[in-house]
Amino acid sequence: MNNKKYHSVPIQPGEVTPKNIYNSRRQFLKQMGVVGMGALLASCAPQGFSDNTLPEEIPSDFGTDELGNSLTSYQAIAGYCNFYEFTTNKDNVDELAQDFVTDPWSVEVGGLVDNPQTFSLDDILETFDQQERIYRMRCVEGWSMVIPWVGFPLKQLLAAVQPTADARYVAFQSALVPDQMDGANSGMFPFPYLEGLRLDEAMHDLTILATGIYDEPLLPQNGAPIRLVVPWKYGFKSIKSIVRIALVPDQPPTLWNTIAPQEYGFYANVNPSVDHPRWSQATERRIGETGRIDTLLMNGYAEEVMPLYEGMDLTIDF
Amino acid sequence: MISLLPLSILTWLALTGWLGFNPVETAQRWTGRVAVIWLLLSLTCTPLNKIFKLPRIGRLRKPLGLYAALYAALHFAAFAVWDYGLQLDTIWLEILNKPFILLGLAALVILSLLAATSFRYWLRKLGKKWFRLHRLVYAAAVLVILHYLLSVKGDLFSLRGNYLPPLIASGILLLLFILRIPPVNRLLGE
Repeated sequence: MNNKKYHSVPIQPGEVTPKNIYNSRRQFLKQMGVVGMGALLASCAPQGFSDNTLPEEIPSDFGTDELGNSLTSYQAIAGYCNFYEFTTNKDNVDELAQDFVTDPWSVEVGGLVDNPQTFSLDDILETFDQQERIYRMRCVEGWSMVIPWVGFPLKQLLAAVQPTADARYVAFQSALVPDQMDGANSGMFPFPYLEGLRLDEAMHDLTILATGIYDEPLLPQNGAPIRLVVPWKYGFKSIKSIVRIALVPDQPPTLWNTIAPQEYGFYANVNPSVDHPRWSQATERRIGETGRIDTLLMNGYAEEVMPLYEGMDLTIDF
Repeated sequence: MISLLPLSILTWLALTGWLGFNPVETAQRWTGRVAVIWLLLSLTCTPLNKIFKLPRIGRLRKPLGLYAALYAALHFAAFAVWDYGLQLDTIWLEILNKPFILLGLAALVILSLLAATSFRYWLRKLGKKWFRLHRLVYAAAVLVILHYLLSVKGDLFSLRGNYLPPLIASGILLLLFILRIPPVNRLLGE
């Protein structure tokens, strides 16, 4: 297989939005008194979240993804996510993660490479041009968001360390700081969180390392200061708060696949026809909207990524 | 009356938006937990009455059980009505494909049957059969606990995942069963 094979995706109009336009929209929306969330939440958001740790809302009407889906509100993205090192409760990760120290930060990139390096976050922000990418994010639990990430293609970082010919997979490891992470001491999960991609998946243009959301640096609960985003896979593949990346010859162990391989495949590609024993994978709940919508093969990125899986039975290698 | 408190809180939270960013999931989880707790409380009344001679507690068995059935029904409604908008074909597929839903539904059917026959009229009409019928509550309790255990993310056999709450519920149910073993039960009365 040609490991360098990938398909570039054109940046959509409206993907890159200058901050002053955000701000003018913010003004506009404030005047309108509109919050980009479901009616249920809209009625309460201003009072309900005022004493919370959630950031000031950033209006989400500046663009859509390439399918025309409107963006999930910044408050929802920051206020609702899975980060089990802090807690299994998606609604209060933001509080428990707020004291997580992400500065200074370094990411060690090594393994089967000619030029192993340890990058500080500043190195990364200086070396790699940060771009905006609007991606759908589909959690294996059956909910989804549309998120305007700031980041850069992982392939640029991999090119900098020069993988050797033996490298076939990329292994990722999250930070594990038990004294700052309440949930890490429960013994319920074998932390540190590990994830992995096949090298050609890692080299795909859609695969990015994200450093921000809505033009703001990542918040701790969203995986600060740097995380993976693989939009055609279930959210748990997009490992947060990365401290180590290694090029390896064999398929690396990953946390959820280790715990329950019958439920969480290594590939974990979004696939409505591969069912899960607990959650519907045929439909999903878009956060901030009511009702269910159909889940798309490869989360709507099938055209771009299906060539990666030619000749594979996706119901076996799920 | 106290049994209506969780429902009131839930409604109030729903109206004020405090159910969070995924209100359907929060509502499902909340009603499910209340149903489990109320069912276990209902099954605790008789042993408590036996041990401590508290007939007032003993009489709570029936209302607590009825409210457990109510919350189980609300739990199913949150799934079928709120989440799936009563799209019967999709709901049916989900039930068939996910054993834990099937177990929960079986428990709900039993609890509904028991709630429907909880009136004095049925007690008089069925006589001895009524008591046999209402022993099905133990089957419902087992189904509910299995449903709870299987609904948790992780792996039950290696106990990796957030299993503490359903395991505590399992432990309590086991204890309640032990207290009902005839020799143990006789000891309680003394």
